[in-house]
Parts: sequence; C-alpha cells; structure tokens
Amino acid sequence: MARQTASIQQRLGLTPGTPPILALKGVSKYFPGVIANEDVDIDVYPGEIHALLGENGAGKSTLMNIVTGIYKMDAGEVIIEGHARDFSSPTDAIDAGIGMVHQHFKLVRAFTVAENIHLGWPQTPKCISKRHLESRTHALAQNLGLAVKPEAIVANLSTGEQQRVEILRVLARDAKLLILDEPTAVLTPKEARELFAALRAFVARGNAVIFISHKLDEVMEVSNRVTVLRGGKKVATEWTDTCTENSLAQLMVGREIVLTETQKKTAPSIKTAPILNLSDISLTTDQGTVLNNISFDLAAGEILGIAGIAGNGQRELTYVMSGLSTPSSGMLTLDGKDVTKAGARTMAQTGIGHIPEDRLHSGMAPTLSITDNAVLREYAQPPLTRKGWFSPKGAANLAREIARVADVMVPDFNMPARNLSGGNQQRLVARREMRIAEKILIAAYPSRGLDVGAINTMMRYFIELRDQGVAVVLISEELEELMNFSDRIAVMFHGEIMGIIPTKDADVEQIGLMMGGTRQEDLT
Amino acid sequence: MNLIRLQRMPIATPRVAFAFRVASVLLALFTTAIALSISGRSPVALGAKVISATFGSSFGLEDLALLFSPLVYCGLSVAVALRIGAWNIGAEGQFNFGAFCATGVALFVQGPTWVILPLMALAGMVGGALWILIPTLARAYADVSELITTLLMNFVAILLVYWVATGPWLDPSGMALATTSRLPVSVPALWGIVHWGPLVGIFLAIALALFVTYTRWGYEVRIAGANPGAARYAGMPVKTQLIGIMLLSGAIAGLGGMMEVAGTVGRLQGGISNNYGYIGIMVAVLARAAPIGVLATAFFMAVLLNGGIVLQSQGLTTHTVLAVTGLILLYAAIGDEMAHYKILHPKVKDI
Ligand SMILES: Nc1ncnc2c1ncn2[C@@H]1O[C@H](COP(=O)(O)OP(=O)(O)OP(=O)(O)O)[C@@H](O)[C@H]1O
Ligand SMILES: [Mg+2]
Repeated sequence: MARQTASIQQRLGLTPGTPPILALKGVSKYFPGVIANEDVDIDVYPGEIHALLGENGAGKSTLMNIVTGIYKMDAGEVIIEGHARDFSSPTDAIDAGIGMVHQHFKLVRAFTVAENIHLGWPQTPKCISKRHLESRTHALAQNLGLAVKPEAIVANLSTGEQQRVEILRVLARDAKLLILDEPTAVLTPKEARELFAALRAFVARGNAVIFISHKLDEVMEVSNRVTVLRGGKKVATEWTDTCTENSLAQLMVGREIVLTETQKKTAPSIKTAPILNLSDISLTTDQGTVLNNISFDLAAGEILGIAGIAGNGQRELTYVMSGLSTPSSGMLTLDGKDVTKAGARTMAQTGIGHIPEDRLHSGMAPTLSITDNAVLREYAQPPLTRKGWFSPKGAANLAREIARVADVMVPDFNMPARNLSGGNQQRLVARREMRIAEKILIAAYPSRGLDVGAINTMMRYFIELRDQGVAVVLISEELEELMNFSDRIAVMFHGEIMGIIPTKDADVEQIGLMMGGTRQEDLT
Repeated sequence: MNLIRLQRMPIATPRVAFAFRVASVLLALFTTAIALSISGRSPVALGAKVISATFGSSFGLEDLALLFSPLVYCGLSVAVALRIGAWNIGAEGQFNFGAFCATGVALFVQGPTWVILPLMALAGMVGGALWILIPTLARAYADVSELITTLLMNFVAILLVYWVATGPWLDPSGMALATTSRLPVSVPALWGIVHWGPLVGIFLAIALALFVTYTRWGYEVRIAGANPGAARYAGMPVKTQLIGIMLLSGAIAGLGGMMEVAGTVGRLQGGISNNYGYIGIMVAVLARAAPIGVLATAFFMAVLLNGGIVLQSQGLTTHTVLAVTGLILLYAAIGDEMAHYKILHPKVKDI
C-alpha cells in the first residue's frame, strides 16, 4: 500500500510523502430506497486531474455534494490535507479550499461579471467603486489565466463564458481543489479545449481538479487518473493512460459493451413525402431577429441533423416547429395543413414530440412528483383523464411504465423529480417524448447528461423511429454524432440555414466552415 | 470552538415539519403566558377561562363556528391563488365587496327566499371576482405584481362599505350610525345561531382538495403553479389558468362576505370584514396552501380569536390577541426554517 502511494506521487512528480489534497475513506450515503454511495475511497493528489466516471445515477454528484457540504454522509470520513473535516455548507468547503461548479450555474444573471465574482466574498472591500471592482476582477482573471469581461452582464454571456465566471469565482477564493460536474455538457468543442487548457494550468500550480463527465474521449484526453463508480460503489481507480474508452465503458456498466455498435449506418429509407414544411420562417423577439427566412422540407423517415454552435437559433427553431413560438412571418405546414399558429398542445397531440434543450426550465416541474412529470404529455387523454376526471392511479401506472422503458430506478414515484440524477431526468423526458412522437421527434441535445450506454440505447431508438417513418430532427453540437446518425445535415448560423447536405456527401471541414458562416453555395 | 453544528437539508420531512409547527404554537402561547404573568395576571386562570368559555358551553361553540366561517373562506381564497403562484393579499377587499353586492340584492330585489338567497350568493361571488379582476388582468397581461394591486383594492372596498352603510343605505330607522337595515332574508340556521356558512365552507375545502388531485384542471394548475415554463411547453393555457384561478380566489372570498352579512351579522356594516382577509393569509400560509389544511388552521385561528374576545371581557385589549397570532406566525416561520436543519454530531477534529 505504502509503496503504491509513493509511486502515485512519483508519477505525478510530487515529493514522496506528499499527502493527498482530498482523501475519502469509506464514504456512504443512503437515500430512502437508494444506495447513493457506499464505502467509497478516493485519494486526489496535488497536480492531478482526477476524472469521476459512472452510469447515470451511479452517485457521482451525490459524492461531490458530500465533499462540499451540501449533503451529510451517513458513514465515512472526508480528509482534507490530512485533517478530517465535515463541512456543513459550501461556504465552509470553500473556506477550506474546495470549490464546486455545478452543471446548473448559480450566477446572478442581472449582475455584471465583476459583481458576481465579488458577491458574498469576505475579501470584497466594504466600500468599493464599480471601476475598482472591475479592475480587481480583471487582475484576478489575468492571474488565473481565465479570460472574462468584468463589465459584461452575465445574462448576455455565452454558456462557456458563464462557466468561466463560475470557475473564476471559485478560484478567486483560493480553491486548491476544483470540482466540475459535467462541465463540458454545455460547451462547444472550442470552449471545452479552452477549459482544458485552463485546468492544466491550474493543476500545474500544485492544485487538483475532480472532473465528472460522460464523454470518454475527454476523460482520456484531460485526466491523469480516473475513478469509476457503479451503483454507488467504487469499482476502480486507474491511471488514464492504462485505459481505453472501451475498458472504461466496461468498468462503468460491469459487462462488455460495444461502443461502436450504433455507429454503423443503416440505409436511409427516405420516403419522398415531406411531412413538415417550413417556408420563409422568420422570428423576431426582443433579442432581435433570431430566425431569418428559414425554408426546408422535413421528410417522413429521415433523421435531419442540425449542426451549429449553440445560440445560433437552434432553440428558436425547435420552438417554432413544436408550436411553442409563433413565427413573425412565414408558414409552417404539417401534412399539407397550415399549422403556423397551431400552438404547442395541438402539435403534441398530432404526434410531435419535443425533447427540449433545458429540461429543468421547460421540460419538467422539478418540485413536483416524478409521476406528475412523467405524464405531462398524456395526462389529458384516457386512461388518465376521462370526462375531465384525472386518475392518479392511471398516472402512477403510466409513470411506472415510462420509468421501466427508460431504465430509471425509482424508489418512490411521489418524490420530487429534482431528486433524480441529472441523467435520469433526461432519460425520463426523452422517453416521454418518444412515446408521443408518431410523426416527428424534435430532439435538442438529447444526449446531454446521458451515460454512454443510455446514448447508445437512445440513438438505436431514434433509428427505429426513423425506420417506422417518423421524422427525427437531431440538434447536436457533436459533429460525430450528427455524421453517424443523420441522413442530412443542416447547418445554422446567426438564425439562418447555411445549407443542407446529405450526410454521405458531407465532410467535417465543410460543415465547420458553414458553422462559421460560409454558405453552402460559396464553398469551393 | 463550535461544538454543535447544523446542516441545512434541501427538504424538511413532513413529520419534523409538523413537530416544529406544534412546538412553535406552544412556544407562542408560552411567551404570551409569560407576558401576562409579568403584567400581573394569572395565565392559568385566563387560559382556563378561555377554554371553558369556548368549549364549555354551546354559546361558545356557536361563536366559534361563526368565527370559523369567514376564516375558512378567506383562507381558501388565499390558498387557491397560492396554488397557481399568486399572492392574493386582497381577500379583505373581495370579502367586503362580495358582502356589498349580496346586500344590494337583498335590499333591492324582491322575491321568495329560495330565489333571493342563491342570487345573493351569486352576487357575492361575482362581486369578489370583480374585485380581483383588475389585479388579475394586470398580472396576466402586463406582469404587474398582484401583491400591491390586490392590497390597494382593499382600501377602496372597505371605504365603499363604510360609505354606503353610513350614507345611501343607512338604516332609515335612525337607530344606527353605520349599518344598513336588517336584510329581509338570511341564511337559514343549522344549529343554534350557526347558519350554513361554516358547513358550506367545509364542503368547499373538500371539493377543492378533490379538484386538485382528481381533475384534469387540477393537474394543470399544479403544473402551472410549480413551473409555468413546463405548462407552456405542454401547451396548457397558462394565462387563462392564472385568470381563472385568481377569479375563483376572489369569488371564494366574496362568498365568505355574503355568508357574513346574510348569516352572521344580518346587515351590512362598516368594518364587516374585521381583518378576516388578512388573517386568511396566515391561515393559508400555515396550511401550506392545502385546502384540507386550511380547515385545521382556520379552526385554530377561530379558537384564538374567540379566546381574544373572552380575554377582552377580562379587561385585556384586542392587541393581545393580535400579538399572539403574530407570534405564532413568527415562530411558525422560524420553525419551518429550522425543520430543514439537522444537528451534526461534533466528531470533527478541528486543528
Ligand atoms: N435528494 C435525494 N433524494 C433521494 N434520492 C436521491 C437524492 N439525490 C440523489 N438521489 C438518488 O441517488 C442516486 C445517485 O444520484 P446522483 O445524482 O449522485 O447520480 P450521478 O452519478 O450524478 O448521475 P448522473 O450521471 O445522471 O448525473 C440516484 O439514484 C438518485 O435518484
Ligand atoms: Mg450527476
């Protein structure tokens, strides 16, 4: 044991005997009916990026919430730099040098970056001018190598920029250990690369990072060591360079899984009949023109991929197609009928499922029960509602059925949906929508937060739906996903479609150029 | 050195929350007892007096039931609005205006009792709904907070009732200063002097509870109240729901007002609402906006207010009662927060 420890420190270039920044010993946490964590041991040393892997619901977020004092463990010890600690709040944790960035940011959106950085920070001078606040922020950002705009209002920043602010907020408070829960789920590949560079610089100064992700390629790229959880228990801690994506996936699920299985394309079976037609759709909101003259046909039995950097009108496009927004001009026809002003309910009832981009804000009511959330699409029809009477029993049955096919273990359907792990929420929402998608399924970043196995299952199901003649609109930032599964790829930029390419003729370079604003016809 | 440390949990378990509720009530009563004994009175004797006067005779119980009635209606009114995420601070005004409209029908429409009474109830409900209409539309279409608007409407309604009761509708017999003449019809008595008001209130609470759980509308209201974004996503008519529920909230308070004039008081008089609308906020909050819970908290408040009347007869002012209710609310709020905390055992070795 001692020899092994010495070798970890040597491999990380530390002097022998350096204690870990964080050591977990036998940490257990139980929720009613669920073992969230049991007997987990992990050491995290200065200078390492330590990845934490596991299937949805494996207990990763819970474990980190214990470390930062959000949850109280039922057994075990958290040892920080040699001292056993038991934090009662995240403030205590940050005072001890441990900071966490959650997947859902906790910034004050109406405040500037500088104000957010200084909010609730004992070191903020009692009386300080706006200019001074901004220059302090600027200096901090420079020191820590994170580019932020101190005077910008947070609400106007891209997701990647907001995340940098969150990280700066934590690092400014002298964090030695930075915990990131699925930080790249919402980042563009470029933003992710910038994040990794910042993380490497941070650990090079003798700090450490715990990095939770479902993206195995990122884990392979950025981490020194990786710990895998399964069913709340630790399965292994390995040096990343001794692993492959396949071996990691296997550790996660506990059996052989074939990552490449769904990567082979089945022959596209495009029926010629267009099912949904968008002609000259524009949408102007208080943000300006967010959709500009969008025209295309969606065919029954195809998967149409939509590529583009997030924030280029994808969300608005899904809203128009699912009836949530009425376009300012242009026409939407479904099966030859004008549905421009049909509204979300009619569209859903006609067989259009919609996996929304931000499930917590629009796809679910996190404070209500899992049952209430699971039946959101079918509550108004028999057997749930008959003559206006709603049957709680019918709802419970449907919820159980959805959870079963979504492969989500639910100990109690009356518990608030926010108690589910992030990935399990996504699984439920995705299943709920697939059930009603008889004609069209609009899936915005459907694999966000899902583990590899769940992504595989979902993509297989998308292909099945397509083969049954459903049109699938797949919005994704991952070109690989789009290239593998879609029949055609449309590229969006500044609210416009730069072009639509059949996937077999597409190459990544072309799509990259179009994502940057080059039109298809201008490509040479 | 901090030996005991607390940790805040995201949710309080119902059992703990209930225990804290009971404790906060007891603590408020205890605080009052101390204050009373400092001022040289015997809290035990006073308490015994209150209990025997309230529960020891059918008069006390009848009074209790009559107090319970307006509190149930106002509590339900506030609770219903809370379910959709709106604060109806204006139950007081809707109660007054409902009473006013019902009185108008009684004074100026002739007919058999079985026609006039339902008409009065209808007028009360329509009046209550009308009184919340402007705040409702302002909230639904201009996003103006209903908190302020409903509150402001209260003053208008209260003054309106004072004005008609001292002016145009003043009892022509010259015997009274600020009431109308006795209404020609009244809600029939059920038991002693207790009319149908409290019982209808209980049925209403049960109906609302069933509505929330067992109707499609109730489900939609639950979703829209918890997350309007999700309701819009599911294609629910969020605005219509908000408007419908807020009007219902006003109508319930208005019906309470009708029961008060036509049942308990028998005539419209200035100050008929007697702060019931404001106490209704407390009733609803203590019940966590659950209709059946409102029955319990309204009953509890009725006991307190009734106790206050008894205390007055012992030479204490109404302020004592207001102070007790205020204390209970304060302690309950503190208790609700404390129910979230768990004590950590000090096994931490701080260096
Ligand atoms: N507050 C809670 N009450 C009850 N159960 C909970 C609570 N929080 C988490 N759980 C359960 O604990 C288990 C572990 O959840 P956790 O969020 O840690 O998973 P995770 O590994 O982060 O998964 P994901 O990859 O989906 O984010 C899940 O089964 C979840 O439902
Ligand atoms: Mg998680």
